Amino acid sequence: MLDTIRRVQSGDIAVTLAALGLITAGLVTLSGISEPASGGFESQIVRQAVFVAIGVGLYIAVATIDYRILSIFAWGVYLFAMLALLLVLFFGVERFGAQRWYLFGPVQFQPSEMAKVALIIALARYFTALHEVRNSTWTFLGSIALTGVPVVLVLLEPDLGTSLVFVVIWFCMAFAAGSRILHLAIIMMLGLISAPIAWFVMRPYMRERIITFIDPTIDPLGSGYNVLQAQIAVGSGGWWGRGLGSSTQSQLEFLRVRDTDFIFAVVAEQFGFVGSVVVISLFFIIFFYALMVVVRAPNDFSRFLGAGILSMIAFESLVAIGMNIGMAPVTGITLPLMSAGGSSLVMTLLALGILVSVSLHRDVPLFHASSRAELPAGRRAGHRF
Amino acid sequence: MNETTGRGAGRPNSNARRTLLIGAAAAAGGAALIGRLWDLQIVRSGEYIGQAEANRTRQQAVSPVRGLIYDRNGMQLVRNLPIFDVWVMPGDVPEERLPDVAARLGELTGEEGGDLATAIGLGQGRPSDPIRLIRDVDRDVALIVKERTLDLPGITVRDSAKRQYFHGDVMGHLVGFTGPISAERSEEYIERGVGLDEDVGLAGVENYLQDLLRGSDGHRLIEVGALGEERREFAYTPPESGRSVYLTVEVEFQRGMHEVMARFLGERGAGVAIVTNIDSGDVLGMVSYPAFDNQLFAGGISLEDFSRLASDFRRPLINHAIAGLYPPGSTYKLVAAAGALEEKVLSPEQIVDCPGHLILPSGWIFYDWLLTGHGEVDVHRAISESCNVYFYNVSGGNPYTDLVGLGERRLAEYSRGFGFGQATGIDLPNELDGIVPDSDWKYDNLLESWVTGDTYQAAIGQGFVQATPLQLLNMYAAIGNGGTLYRPRVIDRVENSLGEVVEIPPVEELGRLPLSAANLERLRNGLLEAVQGVNGTGKQARTEVSVVAGKTGTAEYTGQLVEGGNLPSHAWFAGYAPADRPRIAFMVLIRDGGEGSAVAAPVARDIVDLYFTGTVVPMRYAPFTARRGIR
Repeated sequence: MLDTIRRVQSGDIAVTLAALGLITAGLVTLSGISEPASGGFESQIVRQAVFVAIGVGLYIAVATIDYRILSIFAWGVYLFAMLALLLVLFFGVERFGAQRWYLFGPVQFQPSEMAKVALIIALARYFTALHEVRNSTWTFLGSIALTGVPVVLVLLEPDLGTSLVFVVIWFCMAFAAGSRILHLAIIMMLGLISAPIAWFVMRPYMRERIITFIDPTIDPLGSGYNVLQAQIAVGSGGWWGRGLGSSTQSQLEFLRVRDTDFIFAVVAEQFGFVGSVVVISLFFIIFFYALMVVVRAPNDFSRFLGAGILSMIAFESLVAIGMNIGMAPVTGITLPLMSAGGSSLVMTLLALGILVSVSLHRDVPLFHASSRAELPAGRRAGHRF
Repeated sequence: MNETTGRGAGRPNSNARRTLLIGAAAAAGGAALIGRLWDLQIVRSGEYIGQAEANRTRQQAVSPVRGLIYDRNGMQLVRNLPIFDVWVMPGDVPEERLPDVAARLGELTGEEGGDLATAIGLGQGRPSDPIRLIRDVDRDVALIVKERTLDLPGITVRDSAKRQYFHGDVMGHLVGFTGPISAERSEEYIERGVGLDEDVGLAGVENYLQDLLRGSDGHRLIEVGALGEERREFAYTPPESGRSVYLTVEVEFQRGMHEVMARFLGERGAGVAIVTNIDSGDVLGMVSYPAFDNQLFAGGISLEDFSRLASDFRRPLINHAIAGLYPPGSTYKLVAAAGALEEKVLSPEQIVDCPGHLILPSGWIFYDWLLTGHGEVDVHRAISESCNVYFYNVSGGNPYTDLVGLGERRLAEYSRGFGFGQATGIDLPNELDGIVPDSDWKYDNLLESWVTGDTYQAAIGQGFVQATPLQLLNMYAAIGNGGTLYRPRVIDRVENSLGEVVEIPPVEELGRLPLSAANLERLRNGLLEAVQGVNGTGKQARTEVSVVAGKTGTAEYTGQLVEGGNLPSHAWFAGYAPADRPRIAFMVLIRDGGEGSAVAAPVARDIVDLYFTGTVVPMRYAPFTARRGIR
C-alpha cells in the first residue's frame, strides 16, 4: 500500500482532483435544484452523496489493486454483466416506459452501467489475447459478437443511448487495437446504409428525438420543449451565469429532467460560459490523463483498457453536453460524474480507478509485492503482461 | 514487455498512436462544444436572457370591480356576487396531456370533457391568451381545482363576479343587464380594451355607461413556473373600480307606476308611462309594460326564458318608451295649433265650422271623431275637445273657404321645433328618431307626391307621423315649463369608489319651443280646459290632488278592424301637473287600447295621484280587455 502511494505522481493527483471537481459541481448543482421538502435518504442530494462515498471508495480500492487481475476475471465479469442485463428484462422495475433498473431496497442499480465497464475489460482481454491475429477478419467479427450481446440486450430495455455507448466503445477499442481500417470503414458504411432501415424499426419516441434534434422548433411545447428550454437556459447564463439558485430556467422547472439529461444546462445557466468551460476543461484533464496512461502503458491490455475508458467517458461527456446545446440528439446519456444516478457515478469512478491503477502499476513487476504473491500468473497462452 | 511478435510488431506503439487519434477527436469535440457555448452564452446571450425572462414573467390583467347602480336616493339596484371562473392558459397545457387534463377538469366540474378539450385546443393558436373555460363554478370545485395545479397544468381559478339585480321587472328596462359579448361586436370591444370573456352591459344603463361602470384594468407582473403556476408577484397596479351610477328615478315611484300599469294591462295589454321633472327633464319613472326581469339575464339566460320573452307578441325586450314608434294621434295637434297661431294662419279667436267631416274636391272624406260635429270652434275649443276638422283646416287649408293652411313644410318645421323627428338624447341605448313626414320624406320613402290629405293626417298625428312616447312627453313638458325642451336625464350623478361625485350629467336644453308666450298660454289654456272643462276629452284624468292639464289621443293605425268597423287605435294621454305651476310632465300610452279619453286618461290620473300622494290608489276602472292583436 505504501509502495503504491509512493508511486503516485502529479498526473494521478490531477485526475483525482478533476474527478472530485466534477462531482462537487454536480452535487452543488443538484442541491440547487432538488426539492427542499424531502430529507434523509429520500433526498436526492443525500443519496447522491452516499453514492459519491461508495464510488470514491471503489476508486481508491481499484486504483490500489493491480489492474492486471482484471485480465483473469475478464470473462467472468463479462458473463456476470450480460446475465444481469438479461435478467433485468424479467426482474427489473419499469420506469418511464423502460425496464432498466434493479431495485435493492431504496437503491436502484442499472446493470447497463456495469456492462459498459465489463465490455471494456472483456474487449481489452480479447484483443490482447488475439494479438497475433489482431487484424484478421475473424478477430474483428468476434469483437462484434462480444459487443452485440449487450447492445441487443440494452436495446430490448429499450435504451438507445446506452447501446450507442457500447458501439462507440467497441469501435474505438477495435480501432485502437489495430483493426483494419477497411473493416471499420465497411462497418461504418453498413451503419449508414442501414440507417433508413433502422428508422422504420425505431420506436416513435426515438424518431421524435431525432427529428427534434434536427429542428427543435417544430414542436416547441412537445418533444422540442426540452431542447429549446435547455438552450434558453444555457444562453441566458452569459459570461458569469445567473448565480447559484437564481437561475430561473432551472429553478422554475422550465427545464425538465434537469438532474440527469439536462444537468449541464443547469450548470451553464448558473455559472455561465466561464463555468461551462471549467467543466469541459475538467473533462479535458481526464481525457488527457487517459491518453497519457495509454501512451505510457506497459502492455496491450492496459493500453486497450485505457482506450476503452477514454472513449467511454469522452463520448458520454461530449454527447451529454452536446444535447444540452443542440449539438447532439437527446439520447438519455448521462453526464459522467455530474448527473444524478448512482450506477453511472460509481461505474465511472471505477473506470477511472482502473486508469489510475494502470498508471500506478506501470513499472511494477507482476510478482513484486509479497502481498500479491497469490496472484495468478499469466498461465495461458497469449496472456501477456 | 514490448511487442515483438504479431503483424503489428513492425510498428511499435502504433496502437497508442491510434488512441491519440481518439483523444484528438475528443479534443475536437470539446472545442466544438466550447465554440457553440461561446455562440449561445456570449454572442446570443441577450436573446436567450429575453426568452428566459419571457418564460418566467407574465403580465396578467386584473379585472376591475364593476360599478354599482343606485336609484336617486341611493337605493341599491344591483350588486356583484363573487363567483369563481376556471381559466386556461392554452400554451401551458402540454399537448400530450390535453385530453387527460380536459377529462379530469370535466370530471371535477361536471362539464363535458370533450368540449373542454376542444376549447383548449382552439386556444392553442394563441397560446398565451388566457381563455375562460367555465363560468361560475361551485366554491368547493374551485378550491379543488386550485389545489390540483400539478394535475391540471395551465388551469387556474380566478375570482370574478356576476350581477345580481334587485328589482326585476320594475327596473329591468332602465338598469338593463350584462352578458357575453356577441361575435359581431367583438372587434369593437377588443379596441376598447375589454376582454372577450368579460360580461358587458347589453341593455339599459348597464349598456349606456359600460365604460364608466367597467372601470379600468389593473396589472400584475408575476413569475410563473413551467406549469404556468404562479410563483410570486413582482408588481401590482390595482385596477380602477367602475364608477357608481345614481339614476334620476326613484325605485318606489317607479314600482308604483309599474303596478298601476301592470294591474290594468295584465297578461294581454301593453303600454308605456313616463313621468319627468318638468324643470330639468329628469326621468322620475319610465315604464314600458310588459318589462322583463333583468335577473334572468345575469349569468346567462336560459333558452326557455329567452324564447318566452322573445316570442311574446308585446315584445317585452324592447323599451317602447324610447324604441317604440307610434302615431301620436290627437296629442300631436298642439304642433299644428302652435304653427297656425304663430304663422297667423288664423287668429286665436277665429272660428272654424266643424260639421263632423271635411270632403275634399277629389272626393276624399276626412271625418271628425265626433260624427255630429263640434260646430263653431276656436283654437281653445279645438284643443280641449280635440276637434279634427279645425286642424284639417288650419294645416291643409279649406278649399271652400279662404282659409290657407299652414302647409306640410311649415307643419314639419314646427313639429321638429317641438322635438319630433330626432332622438331626445336620453342616456339610454337604442333610442329612435321617429318620423316627421313632409313631401321630401314621402317622395324619398314612398316615391309618391304629397297630397292635402297627408297634411290633414299629419296635423292630427296620424298617417306617416311616428313618435316615441318620450318625444311626446318632452313636448308636453316643454309646454308645461314655459317653452324649454330639455334633454331627458336618467343618470343623476356618477361617483367614484370613494363616494366622491365625479360627474354630474348637466341639465341640457335642447331648445325653446318656437312659440310666443301668448300663444303658449293659449295652448296651456286649451290643455287645462281639456281636462277640467265640461266638454273636455280628458275629464277622466281629473284628480283631487292636483290640477291636471293634458290632452288625449286616439291614434288609429292600419291593422285588423275592431268592433264597429273602425281601425284599431292606441290610446294616449299626455300632460302636466299642477297646471298653474307644473312640477311634473307625464304621458301614458296604452298600445291598442282604444280611446285615449276612456283608457289612457284614467291610468294617467292614477299616476298623478301616485306622484302627489305617494300611494297607488285603488283601481276605479275595469282592467284592460284585449280587442285585437297589438301592433
